[in-house]
Amino acid sequence: MNNRPELFRGNRIFLACIYWAFVLYVFVPLILMVLMGFKDSKFIGFPIRSWTLDWYTGVFADAEVISTFGYSVAIAVLSTLISIFVGTWIAVLLEGRKFTGRGVTFGLTVLPALVPGIISAIAFRIYARYLGIEPGMGAIIWAHAVHNVPFVVLVVMARLSTLPKSQIEAARDLGADPLVAFMRITLPYLVPAILGASIFCLLLSFDDFVRSFFLGGYDPTLPVLIFAKLRSGMSPEINAIATVALVLTAAIGIWAERFTRRMNKEN
Amino acid sequence: MTYDASAEREGRPGARPAADPTFWGRLTGWGPYHVLMRIATASPRRQFAILAAFPILWVLTQHLGPMLQMLRVSLTDAYPVAPGVEQSFTLENYARFFGDSIFWMPFFRTLTFAAVFTFCTLVITYPVAYFLARHVSRRNQMLFLLLLLIPFWVGEIVRTYAIMILLGNTGAVNMVLRFFGLIDRPIPFMYTSFSMGVGIVYLTALYMLLPLYSALEKLPKSMNEAAADLGAGAWTRFRRISLPMTIEGISSGCTLVFLISTGFYATPILLGGPSTTVFAETIAGFFHVAGDEWPTGAAFATIMFAAALVITAAFQRLMNALRKGDRT
Repeated sequence: MNNRPELFRGNRIFLACIYWAFVLYVFVPLILMVLMGFKDSKFIGFPIRSWTLDWYTGVFADAEVISTFGYSVAIAVLSTLISIFVGTWIAVLLEGRKFTGRGVTFGLTVLPALVPGIISAIAFRIYARYLGIEPGMGAIIWAHAVHNVPFVVLVVMARLSTLPKSQIEAARDLGADPLVAFMRITLPYLVPAILGASIFCLLLSFDDFVRSFFLGGYDPTLPVLIFAKLRSGMSPEINAIATVALVLTAAIGIWAERFTRRMNKEN
Repeated sequence: MTYDASAEREGRPGARPAADPTFWGRLTGWGPYHVLMRIATASPRRQFAILAAFPILWVLTQHLGPMLQMLRVSLTDAYPVAPGVEQSFTLENYARFFGDSIFWMPFFRTLTFAAVFTFCTLVITYPVAYFLARHVSRRNQMLFLLLLLIPFWVGEIVRTYAIMILLGNTGAVNMVLRFFGLIDRPIPFMYTSFSMGVGIVYLTALYMLLPLYSALEKLPKSMNEAAADLGAGAWTRFRRISLPMTIEGISSGCTLVFLISTGFYATPILLGGPSTTVFAETIAGFFHVAGDEWPTGAAFATIMFAAALVITAAFQRLMNALRKGDRT
């Protein structure tokens, strides 16, 4: 807040207009998409004259959609577990330690986050074949896990840098070996960061299209299913599926945001 | 219970800690664990090696490995190799790229689009970030930011579809324009570079907004006030203070958005048309057909990654030079 608001009043109103216009830009498409899922016609387009819940009942009765949903959730959960394990370990190695090759190791750690989507998907596809991993659930889990590791490392490193070193030293003085000191002091301290990173990984994996598309077998993940349906034509059924995915991801995102804020306040 | 704490710290466990009923107490009291831990912590060097081995192995095999393997495949004449056939190294896959405009046209189009969309994203999000950082009270800042973060949690495909509904011939924009009598027949927004731009800016805006916001937040407010007192107008203040002081945020935001924009695959397919084919679609084409084409696809992907890296590196150097030039 400006100490002397009268000075920048004109700017302020102008910028506020831009901000709210941007909020509209960000929200209106999603709101329209949700509304279209309630349209009582097969034809996508405005105006909407009559409303129905049929598309939703159809979606929840559709075994393919339900199983795809479960498939995506399973992939997200399993890849997140791997990312968290690996990412935390790398963060513990990198944070506050000086060794030859630390810079290179850090660079390689963040590499998967910087590779453009299509190139990352292609590289994983080639490497999966090289390793003998068949396209399918295992390949998608592996690709998502590798892709999400950098985000875990960055979040955990940030938290780790605020850990009071004296606590570890005290534990070591009292006879705890490095592993016990890690498990009983460092790890509990990292819990908020790990939970935050987990939510982030879950959403990244659940929303990912390009890696799932190139590494998937015959079973589609939810974004791949929506993409396939879109290619054969728009229909309110897709809106209903997309809305269910939207509500779920947004709800988890908001909850995680509040949760991590509360955790940060407590510490 | 007597034991030598300093000996313990130096890795020479003296006496074992007294029996501790917790899980960790029982584990440390367990003979085999004790022996293993003594071997592992025998020297700081060994301890470090045990800690470092897995992460370094992981980044080499999982982070670097796929890129190297892609590079290797791009230099071979056939992949996977048929049994009994000798695999030979070749640069032909790279030569193929320059030989046909059907390949390099989408390539330059992708880079141009990515640059233009990155610039659009910057211009659109800068005032938003400025407003958030400078004109919203601390208490509300998080709330205002969270409002923009919510759509960010929604996936790429769903948001692309939302743009399709917005811009379609019977979409919301055309409906509103018709309602006000501004047009007689719908404007064909869809399947053009315009619809693609709207979609890509929509998907990448937050990657720009967050670095800009954190750069602007650090900017001391007194500077703007001093400049205003000395008679500088809004435009001068922006050009002489805010812009030079946030070059780091601009640089990292643009780099991130540019790299992401070059990698989109589904969004250009859904929002673009035949005249806006991007290189991602060209690359993907080699992986949908028989395996023979994999080396070419790998070569094209390598070309694109190299180009994106060169451009972002040059851009960052330019930004650094600008920043240094401004300080002197």
